[in-house]
Order: sequence, then structure tokens, then C-alpha cells
Amino acid sequence: MSTIAATHVGASHGHEEATGWKKYLWSLDHKIIGIQYLFTSLFFLLLGGGLALLMRWQLAFPSTQVMANGDVGNPIALPFINPQFYNALFTMHATVMVFLVVMPLLIGAFGNYLIPLKIGAGDMAFPLINELSYWFFVASGFIMLAGFFVAGGAAAGGWTSYAPLSSVAAYNGTKMGQTLWAAGIFVNGLASIMGAFNYITTIVNMRAPGLGFFRLPLTVWALFITAFLLLLAVPVLSAAGAMLILDLNFGTSFFNPAQGGQPLLWQHLFWFFGHPEVYIMILPAMGMASDVLSIFSRKPVFGYKAMVFAMIAIGFLGFIVWGHHMFVSGMNLVLSAAFGVSTMVIAVPSAIKTFNWLGTLWGGSIHFTTAMLNALAFVAMFVIGGFSGIFMASTPVNIFVHHTYFIVAHFHYVLFGGSIFAIFASIYTWYPKMFGRMLDETLGKIHFALTFVFFNLCFFPMHNVGLGGMMRRIADPTAYEHLRSLQPINQFITFAAIGLGFSQLLFFWNFFRSLKHGQPAGKNPWHATTLEWTVDSPPGHGNFATTPKVYRGAYDYSVPGHPRDYIMQNEPDAPDAPAIKPLTAKVPVG
Amino acid sequence: MSLLALLSTARAEVRQTSVWWLPRNVNMFGHEIDFIFYLILWLTGVTAVAVFSVMIYFLVKYRARPGVPAIHSHGNNALEVIWTTIPVFIFLALAIYGNEQWTQMRLRTPPADALPVAVVGEQFGWNVRYPGPDGKLAKMVASKVGKDNPFGVDPADPDGMDDFTTYNDIVFPLNRPVRLYLSSKDVIHAFYVPEFRLYQDMVPGRVYDFVWLKAEATGNFQLACNQLCGQGHYKMFGKLAVVEESAYQAWVKSKAPAPTANVEKTETVPVSLVKK
Repeated sequence: MSTIAATHVGASHGHEEATGWKKYLWSLDHKIIGIQYLFTSLFFLLLGGGLALLMRWQLAFPSTQVMANGDVGNPIALPFINPQFYNALFTMHATVMVFLVVMPLLIGAFGNYLIPLKIGAGDMAFPLINELSYWFFVASGFIMLAGFFVAGGAAAGGWTSYAPLSSVAAYNGTKMGQTLWAAGIFVNGLASIMGAFNYITTIVNMRAPGLGFFRLPLTVWALFITAFLLLLAVPVLSAAGAMLILDLNFGTSFFNPAQGGQPLLWQHLFWFFGHPEVYIMILPAMGMASDVLSIFSRKPVFGYKAMVFAMIAIGFLGFIVWGHHMFVSGMNLVLSAAFGVSTMVIAVPSAIKTFNWLGTLWGGSIHFTTAMLNALAFVAMFVIGGFSGIFMASTPVNIFVHHTYFIVAHFHYVLFGGSIFAIFASIYTWYPKMFGRMLDETLGKIHFALTFVFFNLCFFPMHNVGLGGMMRRIADPTAYEHLRSLQPINQFITFAAIGLGFSQLLFFWNFFRSLKHGQPAGKNPWHATTLEWTVDSPPGHGNFATTPKVYRGAYDYSVPGHPRDYIMQNEPDAPDAPAIKPLTAKVPVG
Repeated sequence: MSLLALLSTARAEVRQTSVWWLPRNVNMFGHEIDFIFYLILWLTGVTAVAVFSVMIYFLVKYRARPGVPAIHSHGNNALEVIWTTIPVFIFLALAIYGNEQWTQMRLRTPPADALPVAVVGEQFGWNVRYPGPDGKLAKMVASKVGKDNPFGVDPADPDGMDDFTTYNDIVFPLNRPVRLYLSSKDVIHAFYVPEFRLYQDMVPGRVYDFVWLKAEATGNFQLACNQLCGQGHYKMFGKLAVVEESAYQAWVKSKAPAPTANVEKTETVPVSLVKK
């Protein structure tokens, strides 16, 4: 490294490579930060999954069930899951999965790792803020989880924490846990905001010469749009969290009607964040899945610009649909009409993206790698999750299926079926770049098959129990006469969930084993075109020995007449072709 | 999903409300909701089958084979326009139609002879108030709803003198419109009866007076709270029966009027459910 230190772009980002413990705990290198995010959120994934399995066990074999003779109904029930703890389980499962798993995996891990590499930059614009953002994220996780160890237990008001249940200690009985939840959300929000403006600054200012916006890979576009959503939506949630802390501890009354507050204020603030959040958790997945589909179909992304505009449309519309979460609160009819229409309209860009993914497959030369299988599962599961969303967008149907297991099925199809499968696809694609070794394909395919089957066995029947009238967030469905006949399905779902959970151990085995024993990856194992594949795996500090020059878009696969079926973005048309005039984008020097 | 629909018809007799499918509907308004539900189910079902068929066809046909290169194509603008325009029209039509139905449901004024019933949620049970022989309920004021006055009524209100109250116990007469007055004493609860296709949040500080229904069949149902309301949420249910008019009248006669705002409580509120 030292011989090229004088010229490498790393010189421009103002820090040297960290060594020793500092390399992994306080590194300013975006790649290390991305990997820190990856490991931390995979740890939280195990934890959040564990919470889900406890929940499922209680639903199948409720400890609260009492037989006619007064005995506890289930000898295999877990006695420590009382109703309050059950409420804490689903509250924290959702909180962990949303704020500590899906967001940090997509945005923290892949955003940090891929953005500078894909745009030909040496690092992020603000490396120190980047590392601070990571540690704020870690802190937020510990603050939220600390709730399990304080008096009253963890927050138990649902991840939506509707006031006044959340804001009045006498109603929730978890004053400390709820306060920690809100504080965790606040700190997590700071981490997101720091990350967001860093990404925007980096993408706007630090693209390599020749890399115009419409030559960016869709992954970068998706993260760019996501960063704007974060920047505009997250501060609102942070403010709401601060108000919740004040209400709980300092005698204010923003949300309690008994003292002149307004419960619907919380809902508006929460969902003004909460709905863009839905797209924050799916847009990067869409971007990365698009790239994976393109690589393994050996084809350019179909309708690249339509894909970009569809994501921009989702970003805009995502801010005017939040009211559909509140149809059931007794909303004014003009307002519900507006929210109903905007909610239906936001389905259009999602449809466009789906058609373009199919178009990408059309005429391709499809390689069924583990990464590709996961990306295909992403498309298929996203279609199902999108379709079940249409039921919710229709106001009259919404009032029937709202808060039933139908909606639980819906958002798991989008979040697990969509985002998590895209995350698996991305890990299989970029792990070789991150660690210099390949993941095991056989293990990967077994893991994929088990995950895909158990996922559907687990979540599809939830549509049915939901339509059968099963409410979400109840600790014991057998307490209800109209749900007792659904109990066999609930037990079936639980067994599928256990299968799903344990299948993930294969992934973790593969992940950690391959760090040492995987096949060496080389620079470009997938024969992909983008800039990260032009450098070593893993790339050195500063990424690029010299600033790359970009001559083409991100998807020149199977160009007729070319000896290879891919042309790297930094390859000129011919060796002696005149240098393409750099675009106006500036690469900061010094 | 449509496969499961077929399954469900085969098993319909196992449970009066099929295990795999929608429970039976007994509310006048439920038919429209079920109609839109099935409309969307058919639309999405057919589209899903089409999308998955195309996808599987492509995956088989365009699997990598030696010597067969991929087609180099960046897309097709005409196709983009087509598959943007068609969904726009379908989704707009769905939105407008759904909204029209919703507006109809909400704006249709309850008939003058509708039976007024007040239901006020609390942690963790249902306060219910019925009118006496005069057929009138005392006026509810949202700001007065509180610990000692669950219905927010004026004790001197002449309309309320003959009202009677129950706890976790609701009876609706068959084929008679019922107008609900919903509110909450403490946190948000929700009035949910799947067989009525009815869900309404009850946000404290408000009285919801636009919900009405007409039961078209007799039977015993359960009223469930469907908005997380605390540790006893999962047990916050009440009996809800639809009976013939004569049986309803007999039930009313068995209830003594409660001239003050007090509530007859059949059980104490389960405050501590946490097992040590």
C-alpha cells in the first residue's frame, strides 16, 4: 500500500488505515464499518428470530390456557411467557427486526460497503461521522434491549407504541421499558440521520469521472433515494420519541386526552415516519436484487430509467400514504379518499419494477447460483406481499382485515420474503468481495431451499387465520371461541417457524466457515461490470490505486461482438479510444 | 389462494365458519365488503398466476446453456408505457370503487328507529348502555368520559333515567338497525366482530357515533378488543348475541334501569395478570 499511498484516492479522505483492535472497533474505513454493521445486525437477527420463536410457541401452546378442570391446558407450554411478557416479545421482535436488523443490514452494511466502491471513491465523505453512526446504532440496540432487565420489563405496547397506552405509565406498567424503547428509537434515529446525509453527500460529490447519475448501478440509486427518505422521515420519529419520554417521565401530556393531549397526534407522527420506513426497508433490497438479477441473467437491467423513475416515484408517494394506517381511527371521508387513492397509486411503480425484473430475465442466460435463487425468491415473494397489500389499500376491506393475521402475513411477505431474501442474495453476491472467499454453494442452496419452503409454510397460512378472524397481538388465541378451531393451523405455523429458524443455522455455519475455508474469490468471481469488481477482494484501504475512469453504464452484459459477455465500467471502447470527457461531477481532492 | 378457496368449500361443514376462510357474515354491510374482497382476490389471483407462469417459463426457457448467449437489450419503451398505463387504470378504478363503497357505508344515515347502544372500552372490559322504554340514550360527552362516569353522561339527563347498563354483555335484536356510540375510558380499544365485518378504533376523548349495523341472522358471537390495550388485552372480550325481537324484549325486561352513571359489573377488572 505504501508505494501507492501518494497517488491513491485514500489520500483524499483524510485518514490512514487503522491497525490492531482499532481496525475492528474504531475504524474510519467504510468497508470495515460496513462489515461491523453486517456482523452486529446478523447477531440481532438471531436475537429477533429467537423472540419470534418464543412468541410462536406461546401461540401454539399457550401458558395461559386453562382447561375446564382448572389445569393449565398445555403440559409443554412455557410458563414464563405471561401475557405481559408476550406483549413485550412481539414489541421487541418488531423493534429489533426493523431498527436493528433490516435497516442496518440494507443501509448500514451494504450502503456503507458498496456505495464508495461502486462509485469509484476512496471512502465516504465523512468517515468519522460514519463510524459514529455505527456506534450510535450499537448503543441504540443495547438501550432498547436493556428494557428486558428493568422493573416492569421491556416495552409492551407494540412497535407502533400507540398512545396513550405507551405514554401513561399507569396504563402500560412498563414505564422504564417504554422510556428505554423511546430513547433507543431516538438514538437509532440519530445514527440513521448521520448515515443518510453522509450517503447523499458522497453520492452527489464523489462519483468517479464519467460516472453520471444515469450510469449508477441501481443499488446506488436505491440507497441514494432511501437516504432522502431517512433524512426526511426519521427526525419526525425521533421527535415523537422525545415527546413520549417527556410524557412518561416529566409530566407533559402530548398524547393523553385525559389531560388535554391528542392520541391521534402520536399516530400521525409515527406513521409519517412509519410509511416511508416501509420503503426505506424495501428500496435498497429492490436495488440490490435488480443488480443480482442482471449479473446472473447476463443481461442489462430491463428498463433501467423506468426502474430509477419508479423508485423516485415510490419515494415521493411514500410520504403521502401514511393515513392508510389510520382508516380505522374514524378518519374524515375526504382524507380517507385521498389516502386511499395515493395508496393504490403507489402500487403502480411497484408493478413497473416487477415487470422490469421479468423483462431482465427474458432472453437471458440464467445462472442459478445461490445469490440468484434468493433474488428470484425476492421477486416472487414481493409479488405476493404486494398483492396482499392491495386488500389493505381498499378502505372497506381494510376495516375487516386490519389488525388480523392477514396483515401479519402481508408485511412478513414484504419484509422477510422481500427484504431478507434480497439481503441473502446480496450477501452471497458481495461476500466474496468483502472477505476474499466464496461462500459454499451447496450449503447455500440447501439453506435457500429450506428457507424458501419453511418461509411459505410459516407465513402463507397466516393469511387464512387472519381472514378467519384471528387478531394480531393476542397472547392466547384459544381464549376466543371463534379462534379455537384455528388452533391446529397456529400449531402448524409454529412448527414451520421453528424449521425456518433452525434452517438459518446452516447459513451462519456457511458464513463463518467460509471466512477461512471458502474458495479464494479473485477480483471478479461473477464476471460483473461495476467498479467494485475491478479491485482486489477484499479491497485495500482507499479502495482504488488510482481514481477509476468510467466509460459506460453499469450493465454492459452480453454486448454483441465483444469477446467477453461483460464489459467493465472502466473499460474504454477500444484501447486507443479517446478519453471520454469527464462529467461535471467533481472528485474532491484534499 | 384460490386453491385454498376450493379446499374451504369442501370443508365448510366442519366449522360453521370455515377454518380456511372468511367467517360467515351476519351484518347487512358485510356483503359489500365481502364483494370487494372477492373482486380483489380474483384480480390479484389471476394476475399472480400470470406473473408466476411467465416467470417460471422464462426461468426454464432462458436457463444458461453453453453456446447460447443472452440477448442484449436495455428495454422497450412501448412496453414500459403499456405496463404503466394498465396498472394505473386498474388501481385507480379499485381505489375509486372502494372509496365509493366506503363513503356509502359511512354516510348512509342510520334509520330513525335504530336502537342506540353505547359501548365504552376500558382496561380490560366493555361497558355497555342500553336505552330503557323511552328508546333514548342519555347524551354522551366525550370530555366527561372518565373513571366514575364511563359513558360521559349528565346524571340529570331525563333521557338517561331509564337506561340500563351491562358489562361484557351485548344483545342485538334481529333485523333491527343498531346505532353504536363508541368511546374509551383510558387507552385505545377497538370494537371488532369478524362475523359483522366490523372494526372500529375507539380513541379516548372521542365518541364515534357513525357506526351502525343490522344483524341478519341470530347466533352467539364474541366481541373482541382488537387494538393492543395492555396486559389483559387478550382477554378483553364480551358476549355478543343476536336474538329474535321477542327474546330481546324479554332480555330488556330482565334488566333493571340504572338511573345514575354507575355500571353493573359482573366481574372485577383483572388488574394483575402477571404470574409471579
